[in-house]
Amino acid sequence: MNAKKYGKIAYDGLITNNATFKLVLGTCATLGMSTSAVNSFGMGISVTVVLLLSNVIISLLRKVIPNTVRIPAFIVIIATMVTLLRMVLEKYIPDLYDAMGVFLPLIVVNCVILGRAEAFASKNPVLDSAIDGVATGLGLTFALTLIGVIREFLGSGSFFGIKVMDFTIGFFTNSAGAFFVYGICIALFVLVTNRAELARRAGKARTLRIPDGAQPLPEPGKEEN
Amino acid sequence: MTVKEFFKSNAFKSLAVLIAIVLVAGALLAIFNDILYISDEERLNRTLSKIYGESVSAQPVEVSAEDAENEYGTVNSIYFITDDGNYLVNTTGKGGFRDGAGTVTLWTVIACTEGEGGKALTGIEKVVYESNEGQTYISTLSGAFYEGFTQKNDLIAAGGYFNADKNAPDDLTNIATGASQSSNAACNAVNTALCYFRAVLSGGAQ
Repeated sequence: MNAKKYGKIAYDGLITNNATFKLVLGTCATLGMSTSAVNSFGMGISVTVVLLLSNVIISLLRKVIPNTVRIPAFIVIIATMVTLLRMVLEKYIPDLYDAMGVFLPLIVVNCVILGRAEAFASKNPVLDSAIDGVATGLGLTFALTLIGVIREFLGSGSFFGIKVMDFTIGFFTNSAGAFFVYGICIALFVLVTNRAELARRAGKARTLRIPDGAQPLPEPGKEEN
Repeated sequence: MTVKEFFKSNAFKSLAVLIAIVLVAGALLAIFNDILYISDEERLNRTLSKIYGESVSAQPVEVSAEDAENEYGTVNSIYFITDDGNYLVNTTGKGGFRDGAGTVTLWTVIACTEGEGGKALTGIEKVVYESNEGQTYISTLSGAFYEGFTQKNDLIAAGGYFNADKNAPDDLTNIATGASQSSNAACNAVNTALCYFRAVLSGGAQ
């Protein structure tokens, strides 16, 4: 029972409520950081770490924090986690710290984190919130990395920093290119997930058989008087 | 409302919880700030590794207060690289975007040889970006732009300075398309280093 529940929470975070492709949250960081796959992946993992820590702490304190001050309390907790992450990155991964620049402190105001804190962590137990944080973070990491790979490949002719071709299209390194790739990715993701959902429903559908001797129902609009 | 009622009220509880969260967060950050502190020496070593791709030994050189400011910008710090005898100069160039008020800060490796009466400038070995103020299009300055500073060493050794002017008569124009003002500030940062070397570090050779 628990495995099924946790599986659903994880599936929701990764696919059904994918923060980037379905809820279209955290767009600023998505567009700004996705010029290269490595930076996108780094940003995604950073957000995942902050989501996990903030979700766990908020869930632990959910019965202590009064409803009237929950938003400022959440913001203080999230800001603390982001500041800790900044310190750790600056100390141990300075290249990523430099690459993320202004987008690292801006994680504080990333709608995904406050959104999950408000919608999930403040109402659910710690383990559920932790799974939700990791799943939502990984869903965002997948989306960011996918956009980063496409933009880096087309815009710079490289794949995770390794040069693979000389032909490049500068448009994809610009903001307009980011919006273009983002839009295409959203459309494809929604198309694929909708088809998968339809196929899943079709597989679950059962054919109703008419019992022997029973009259079939009249078609709508052709009822006999 | 009596004092007793206030301490039992939701307002007091909200205030107390918020203050408690802020205090705990502050204490946690103070502890981690101490644990994860990065010293100036470590920062310098990182910068040197970034510029040279390996660990090198460097000695700080005192910046002359009189000559630290020139028409191109400001000299922030200078290091003598004992491994190769070059100078690593950190400078901030003026004349960037925002009506000329924006700046670009660069690290410039100035190559030199011991000549008669002092050190002779032979060229620029490397230019590495550090930071900027108000330069929205700084990302337009690509690796090729910074490499451009290292490809005119003959003209630099002859006493030239870089410019971001398309119509300049000399061959020392280095300008990134779409970011002429940021290019100007970057050229000025390199020129600041060149100017300081010629005025002070060369010891009268130039």
